[in-house]
Formats: sequence, C-alpha cells, structure tokens
Amino acid sequence: MTAGSPVLTLRNVGAFYWRRTGYLKKNRFWALRDISFELHQGESLGVIGRNGAGKSTLLQLLAGVLRPDQGSLINHGAHVALLSLQIGFVPYLSGRQNAILSGLLLGMSRQEIEKKLNEIRDFSELGDFFDQPINVYSSGMKARLGFSVAFQLNPDVLLIDEVLGVGDAAFKEKSGQMMREKIRSEKTIVLVSHSPGTIRQLCDRAVWIDNGTTRAEGNTVEVLERYSEFIKNKEKPG
Amino acid sequence: MLAKNHLQLITYKAYADLRSEAAKTIMGFLWWILDPLLFMGIFYIIFGLLMKRDTKDFIPFLLIGLVTWRWFQNTVSHSANSILGGRGLMHQVYVPKIVFPLVIIITDLVKFTCVFSVLLLYLWLSGFALNPAYLSLPLVLMVQLVLIVGLTLLVAALVPFLPDLKFLADHILHMLFYMSGIFFAGSSIPERYQAYFYLNPMANLIEIYRNILMHGAWPNWRALALIAGLGGVLTLLSSRLIAWNDPIYPKWIPQ
Repeated sequence: MTAGSPVLTLRNVGAFYWRRTGYLKKNRFWALRDISFELHQGESLGVIGRNGAGKSTLLQLLAGVLRPDQGSLINHGAHVALLSLQIGFVPYLSGRQNAILSGLLLGMSRQEIEKKLNEIRDFSELGDFFDQPINVYSSGMKARLGFSVAFQLNPDVLLIDEVLGVGDAAFKEKSGQMMREKIRSEKTIVLVSHSPGTIRQLCDRAVWIDNGTTRAEGNTVEVLERYSEFIKNKEKPG
Repeated sequence: MLAKNHLQLITYKAYADLRSEAAKTIMGFLWWILDPLLFMGIFYIIFGLLMKRDTKDFIPFLLIGLVTWRWFQNTVSHSANSILGGRGLMHQVYVPKIVFPLVIIITDLVKFTCVFSVLLLYLWLSGFALNPAYLSLPLVLMVQLVLIVGLTLLVAALVPFLPDLKFLADHILHMLFYMSGIFFAGSSIPERYQAYFYLNPMANLIEIYRNILMHGAWPNWRALALIAGLGGVLTLLSSRLIAWNDPIYPKWIPQ
C-alpha cells in the first residue's frame, strides 16, 4: 500500500447494542449513529470526544469486533489490532506461553509468534521472569508483557485507547516514547482520547465525535479548536 | 471453515487452560484421575456395597456407565457458558465464537481420555480381556464425540440469548443421568417402556460400551448409525447457528 491511500473508509456508520430491559424485552441502544471518515496509509488519526461519545464502540468497529448496523465500513485489506494490555492472559502460565496465546488471539500464526518471542522478551524487560508463571508478576510486569506482545506483533493499523505508556515509571517513559516514535513513523494509527493535548502532540489529523455522530474531521488544530469551544459552551451555566 | 490460525488458537488455548488448571492445585494433573475416581468411589460405596444388588459384575457395569456418561455431561454442562465466558475477549479482538465451545470440547476430551484409560486398565486387571469387538471401540467413541459436539454447540449457541437455558440444561442432564441405564440394564425395565428408554442416545451408547468391554459383543450398528446421524445433523445445524450469530453475540453480551 502506498502512503496516503485509504486503509479504512467509514460512511454514515451506525452500530447498536442490545439491552435487555425486562422479561423477554430488549431494546436497541445506538452507541454510534452517523460516523464518517477515512483513515489513510501512514497517518496518525486522533479521535476526540467526551466520555460516552461512542469512542470505545468506534474502536471495536475498527478492530472488527463489531460490524456496522447501518452505513458501510470498508477495510482496504489491512490487519487492524487494538493495542490492549493482557489480551486473554491465563494465570499460572509463563510469560512466554501467555505471549504465544495473546499473539494467536491477535490473529498471528504460531510460527510468526515464535520468531518474535525474543524481541518480545527483550522489549518487556522481564528477563528471567519471562519463563515464570505470570501470577508471580506485579501488575506493572503484566502490563509490560501485554504491551510488548501487541507492540511487537506489528499490525498494519494500531488502535490505541487513551493512556500512553504503561507499567512503572521507567517503562512508562519507554513505552510512551516507543509509541510516539511509532505514531510519528510511517505506521497507521488511530488514537482515541478525551484529552486535546495528547492528540495535538501526536496526530496529523483529527475526528471529533459526539453522541455517536461525526462533528468535525480534518486538520488537528481546527478540529480541536471547535471541540474546545464546544466544551467551553457546555460548561457555561445556562 | 476455520482458518489455520484459529485451529492453532483452539489447540493452544485448550493446552493453556489444562496447564493452568493443573497448576492451581498441589496434585495438578493427578486430579483428572482422582476426581472421577472419588466420584465413582461414592457410587461404589452406595450401590456396590450398601445397596448391593444381585447383578453379576455390578461394579464394572456401573463404572463403564459412569465414565462414559460423565464425559457427556461434563462437556455439555461446561460449554453452556462458554460463549458468555468469552466476553472479555470478544470485545477486544475478533475471535470466531465457535472457538469457545471447541476449546471446552478438547479439554474435556483430554480428561476423559485419562479416565477411560484407567477404566480399561481396571477392566483388564479384573478379568475382562481384550476381545475382537474392541475393534469397534474407536468408532463408538467417535460416535459419542459427534453426539457430544452436536449437543454442546447447540447449548453454547443458545445460552447467550436465553441464559435461563443453562439451569434447564443442568436439570435435564440430571434427569438423563438417572434415565440412561447407568445403574440398571435396559433389559431390566418393563417391556412396554423399553422403546422409550432406547430413544435416549446415551442409554444406547452405554449399553454398546458394556457389550464390547464386558461381553465381547459387537455394537448395535443401527443404533450407532442413528446416533451418528443425529450428532452429525446437530453439529452441522449448531455450527451454522453459531456462525450466523457470530456478529450478534458481542451486541448481546455486555462487556
């Protein structure tokens, strides 16, 4: 794929969840109503919105976990993965075994994962702990392992939710820095946040969603300006 | 069809779950044998000693029924919540939902293999020798597996939409436990009820196992073919049902 060509195209996408509201009763809850934007090869796209705007649902749609119920989402052939920590970790298994399991869940083959195990161990800085059961890990160590797996498996499009950097302070800095590098590199990234600062710092373009609807798309500075204005007006009493 | 990566995922996840389960206890893998032995020990004490019946060879008769029944009951019961139990995963990565019950089918198959080996050992030691009818044993085991897969997938497919079904399924299994001829032979019930008794596939299978293992008799081929057909149809329909609902499960199951 060449830089700039579309990777994902969303046109008037909507998605709902079923909510059980009583005995044999169910309701549709529309988490997304009308989302349109395009993700291009090599760009870092920031998605900004308030809590409950539909950001998590949008990530699930992009990751292929949910399918749109209206509109269309076209994937132009990319492997999209959510950078989440500790996907499918099983207690009492070693870090290595959990890395393999996570990798398989992220859609890699066993052979591909085996090739990357050394990099995953080095990046996670777990040392000898890599071959010990993860129930002896601190929560920071688990996060490091999960982050390293998702990071080293290198999908075409990386979806990142909010928090940059995980684990203890030193690893936080390292992972944050690695992610910034990745975001600034040729990598295609979607970064979801409710903080304009992170997005201004890292993203080429931005999309603002509110109440499940695209409110603005385009240049980061312009979109963030409109978002800030909207927030300011909301906060004003009356 | 499942891709190669998904097959690797299923087998590795089954391996991981088994390892993890074994590591939780001090005796680990031994529990796969000990647990059913203790379970069977209870029935041995009650029915073999306290309520001793005049039936010849009642203990092997009872154990064959219990071991093969437990495989059936455990798998169906364990997998009822399997798709629901995958909620943490299915909201983070795309996983074909059929993976969840298939993992349970494999882990329970591995455990059954251990127990069944012990059962065979016990039978050989107590004088029920290998015989030509053993040649049909792999086929009978396959037929039971197909039946288990069919029912397991059906229950797993429906429980996310009808969670109450899980309770119902457990009670139906409990009822079948007493109606599958584990404690009595089909020939011992009144003749006019026998036709109904043999409508239950597990009752037929248990009798077939006993005939092979204890009497060296060949299976009832017609019953075997019918059960295989039933299992096959159920497997086909249920896996279609799960595939068809694949994008709908994450919408139904709260995170």
